Amino acid sequence: MRILLIEDDSRTTAYVMRGFGENGHQCETLPDGQDALYQATRETYDVLIVDRMLPGLDGLALVRALRAAGTMTPVLFLTAVSGVDDRVEGLDAGGDDYLVKPFAFSELLARVNALARRPPAHAEVTKLRVHDLELDLIRRRVVRQGQVVDLQPKEFKLLEYLMRNQARVVTRTMLLERVWGFNFDPKTSVVDTHISRLRSKIDKPFDVPLLHTIRNTGYSLHAPS
Amino acid sequence: MHPLKLLRSTPFRLALAFALLFVCAFLLSGFVTFNLIKKELDARYDSHTKELFQVISQTYVESDIQDVIDATRTHIAATTEKRNIFLLQAADGRILAANIPSVPVPDGWSTRPGGDFGIHGDFTYRIFAANVGADRLIIGTNNEETDELQEIVVASFGWALLVVIALAIGGGALIASRAQRRLDAVRDTMGRVSHGELSARIPLLGRGDDVDLLSNDINIALERLSIVVESMRQVSSDIAHDLKTPLNHLRMTLEEAALKQSQGQPVAAELEAAMTEATEIDETFEALLRIAQIESGARKSRFSSINLKVVLTSLMEVYGDVADDAGQQLTADFEANSGFTISGDRELLTQMYANLIENAIRHCPSGTRIQLSLYRNGDKVCTVLQDNGLGIAHEEHAKIFRRLYRLEKSRTSPGTGLGLSLVKAIADLHGVEIRLEDANPGLRFVMSYPPA
Repeated sequence: MRILLIEDDSRTTAYVMRGFGENGHQCETLPDGQDALYQATRETYDVLIVDRMLPGLDGLALVRALRAAGTMTPVLFLTAVSGVDDRVEGLDAGGDDYLVKPFAFSELLARVNALARRPPAHAEVTKLRVHDLELDLIRRRVVRQGQVVDLQPKEFKLLEYLMRNQARVVTRTMLLERVWGFNFDPKTSVVDTHISRLRSKIDKPFDVPLLHTIRNTGYSLHAPS
Repeated sequence: MHPLKLLRSTPFRLALAFALLFVCAFLLSGFVTFNLIKKELDARYDSHTKELFQVISQTYVESDIQDVIDATRTHIAATTEKRNIFLLQAADGRILAANIPSVPVPDGWSTRPGGDFGIHGDFTYRIFAANVGADRLIIGTNNEETDELQEIVVASFGWALLVVIALAIGGGALIASRAQRRLDAVRDTMGRVSHGELSARIPLLGRGDDVDLLSNDINIALERLSIVVESMRQVSSDIAHDLKTPLNHLRMTLEEAALKQSQGQPVAAELEAAMTEATEIDETFEALLRIAQIESGARKSRFSSINLKVVLTSLMEVYGDVADDAGQQLTADFEANSGFTISGDRELLTQMYANLIENAIRHCPSGTRIQLSLYRNGDKVCTVLQDNGLGIAHEEHAKIFRRLYRLEKSRTSPGTGLGLSLVKAIADLHGVEIRLEDANPGLRFVMSYPPA
């Protein structure tokens, strides 16, 4: 994956670059918004990671300019500005995701992965499949090995999100934001509870587990290798 | 008061303007009065002259002027200091009787200075001249008394004017300085406030006048301001206290790791603990920032119409299983067939109820029943979250919405101590009245929304 990181803090830059390097991704960095605008329109990247507060051209203005210029590369905002209004502003400006500092690299990596491989919006799928697990979006039905699995509405939504991101790591905060619409960190084990309920329904009765816990990061739904 | 300061004072300027207006009115009325009096006096003297003329001319008998001459002489003898002048002249110019030299005077009324008749003095004569038979009779009356009266009137008006001006300016200054003192009290108070003395208040006279009303409004604004500043101060010191401790923990953990490292021992556990501690510090900051953002009220602009029942139903789906895992029972009691549309921010309301529910789940023992109710009370939408857990002591009730306040027994459990402050901030933003009651046993949070 080719990533452009637009960030003026050298420690953050080093931390992120090393992380992507270890994971086999190519990451370039630019500290200035104006330069980044030129670079991002000229070259092709899989994901842009943009700091909100930049010298030259601030992150919001940069992304607006990019979108106006027709560059549709997915953008993840990386910022210390964490207010809800700021998040909405970022997404309105054309950002695709928003991560608040301080962050764990695993969180950033999971989000960048999700962005880079986001399926094109026009691909209308009606059925999702992972190994022998099938989710029918129209009939709102889940079947594994021919057996209908009875799910609560929230469990269905959770499974749908996991299946859409199959074979990728999804973090707890990603689940909280996308599945439950929580933009805050709950103090109870909301995610664990629902994951374990889901697991008891789609995995426990069957021989091969599909839903895996990634320690300190999140979860991943994938077929046995 | 300094004269320059007096001139700048609005009350004094007003008083001065009124004094000027008053003096003008006084001058105008004096002028009118003077002229009316003068006119009346002149008319009286004219009628007196005419009367004399008639008295003398009536003595005239056909072709016999002698009686007229006698009458004229009698009158001349009776007049002193030439108050009246008489001139009876024959057609050929011969003076028949007179107390003045011969002077040509037109018929009818005329006004001539005394000098014309060789009389010294600064006064004039009103003269009436007409023929009596073939002879000519001239009678005049001097207006010395009128002039004197005029002088008296002008002098008294002048003095009165001086008194009026003195009173207007003096009284104006007095009233102005009293009004100024009240304005100065406002200025003084504001000066003290701007120098940091936020407890300063403008003294009220209790008269209920406009200055009092304004002062009262300013006092109310100052009160709010000082509460806000006080809470900021409180928060700063709370932050200092509650963040210093975890920062210190973090430092100790890292020092321990460094020590172990130097002794060649594994440090993974210490580093993990340090990360957790850093995350907790960040969470506390996040929560404080979020509360500040909510309290600023800016999010009100993002309010939309929300069905509270949908929000709560969704939360029940999320937390039902969480409570279940904690060995508790979370149930919903939502009134059917009622509209629960309110104006608000879905995300914040979700967080508010999530915090309350999590609070109950975390602080109640296994086996507790937690119930969330939604109903209408008249035109108000109400929600109640009730548990039958341990509850908290009554004296703690008022304190739990305070920032960073944590009950002693929950000091050691994870959490920022800001959850309920956030609840309060969100409730305030939505105009929701939140009340904490004893459920005997357990706690009950009653929240009522403002009527739509």
